Amino acid sequence: MSKKDVESALARGVEILNEFLPVQTTLYFPILYSACVWAVRRVFDYRERILSWQVWLDPEAVLTKPDEFILHFFATHGALSRAYADEIAGRDLRALRVVFPALYPVCGLEDAFLKALFKKELDAGDYRRIAAEFAARAAKARDDIRPAAADARFWAALENLGAELAALGIHLLSDEDVEKAVIKAVKKKTAKGAKS
Amino acid sequence: MRTRTRTRGLRGLGLLAVSALALVLCSSCLTHLRNAKASYAEAGELAQRYQTEQAIAAYKRALAEAELEARKNPSAQAFMLKGLAEVNLGLWRDAETSFVKAAGLGFGEGEAWASDVSLLGLAISFEELGFEEPSLRAYGQLMGKSEFKPVLLAAAQRYADLTLARAVGLEDREKGPALAGLAKVIEKLESADFACGFYHYFHSQVESHRGDFRRSYEEAVMARELGLPSVKVLRDNDNQIVFCYDKVAGALGAAEREAFAAAHGAWAKRWGWPDARTPDWKRE
Repeated sequence: MSKKDVESALARGVEILNEFLPVQTTLYFPILYSACVWAVRRVFDYRERILSWQVWLDPEAVLTKPDEFILHFFATHGALSRAYADEIAGRDLRALRVVFPALYPVCGLEDAFLKALFKKELDAGDYRRIAAEFAARAAKARDDIRPAAADARFWAALENLGAELAALGIHLLSDEDVEKAVIKAVKKKTAKGAKS
Repeated sequence: MRTRTRTRGLRGLGLLAVSALALVLCSSCLTHLRNAKASYAEAGELAQRYQTEQAIAAYKRALAEAELEARKNPSAQAFMLKGLAEVNLGLWRDAETSFVKAAGLGFGEGEAWASDVSLLGLAISFEELGFEEPSLRAYGQLMGKSEFKPVLLAAAQRYADLTLARAVGLEDREKGPALAGLAKVIEKLESADFACGFYHYFHSQVESHRGDFRRSYEEAVMARELGLPSVKVLRDNDNQIVFCYDKVAGALGAAEREAFAAAHGAWAKRWGWPDARTPDWKRE
């Protein structure tokens, strides 16, 4: 297996996504990255997995919490307690309540779709960016995937890509390398899209 | 002679083909209904095991099969199954249409279900447009009269969340009665169906707003034991358990805290948590 082969497969993957999804979508990364993770685990029911992502965005749990719960959530989450140290120390509930609806589904409920959507920010510990962009990006992702989801060719192409990645031995690469390769492929395409 | 035999043979073959085709078409109709039922049952089992994503996929398969069946061979059963799959996917308007059709074809409860689903859809639209009062009234109405459990649960969840959101902004002297009123409503639902874990989950949420963390903890434990409708609610309930555990333990004296920690430790072990404050799904 060569890293180059995986990179070219991922580049083709971006081209495939480009046929079905809007160019400036934020979905390339979560879809491609998930496809890689699933290829490693050799599961190929992409259609069911991706379609069920959307369900997580619907209200179902009671998300209006008392002040004490919100403070506890921020104070007991390692990374969040550092990112919002001032607000926690000052019991600034007004500020924490504003960002809670975005950060609780991602960091508290560990929603699979949202974690994939904000993976870069999570890895960088940029929680304030997640809070600022949450509503717009989640809504856009949901809208962007809808037309592609209705096209059987999209799912077939994605499954072929997963099978190809598995055959290339993607499981032999480290998670970090896979992530880097996906980011590289997506960046290349979106830069091209922005130019043209 | 040979020609006549061949013609007869061809006619025989034709008849055979027509019969085979009819058999295939008929069995494909049966297959759609059977597949819809199988997928629906599978979805229920998956949901019970908190495999929410796979359950949703199975509901979608059930819906697709029920749609094919309803188109090829409209029947009360096909439309009822279609409506049930739609309800589980939150497609309230589509479900209403399906139940109306099921009622028209002889499904006795179809009309009542259609009316409940329609009122729920209307209440959700009101809520989305910011008309809280009428939506609360409609949810309250459904909680009082609906016998269709998916609607009852959805109405109770939205009623509780909306009432809590309004209570958060109130002064303490107004907040107390508002939360007490909500607790009473939830208790009424609980006494009608005590084994429903979702009601105990609501109750736990309300009690933590009232500052009764011990009661909130007990209700959340009961909710977990009785079962919850999805992994998202289960995770929120687990977070509630950990939060209440911390609050209760923090307020106890050393001896009582030890006893409480031991009791909680037993629950945590039973649920497969690696420690008292880490739900199993946080390990992934």
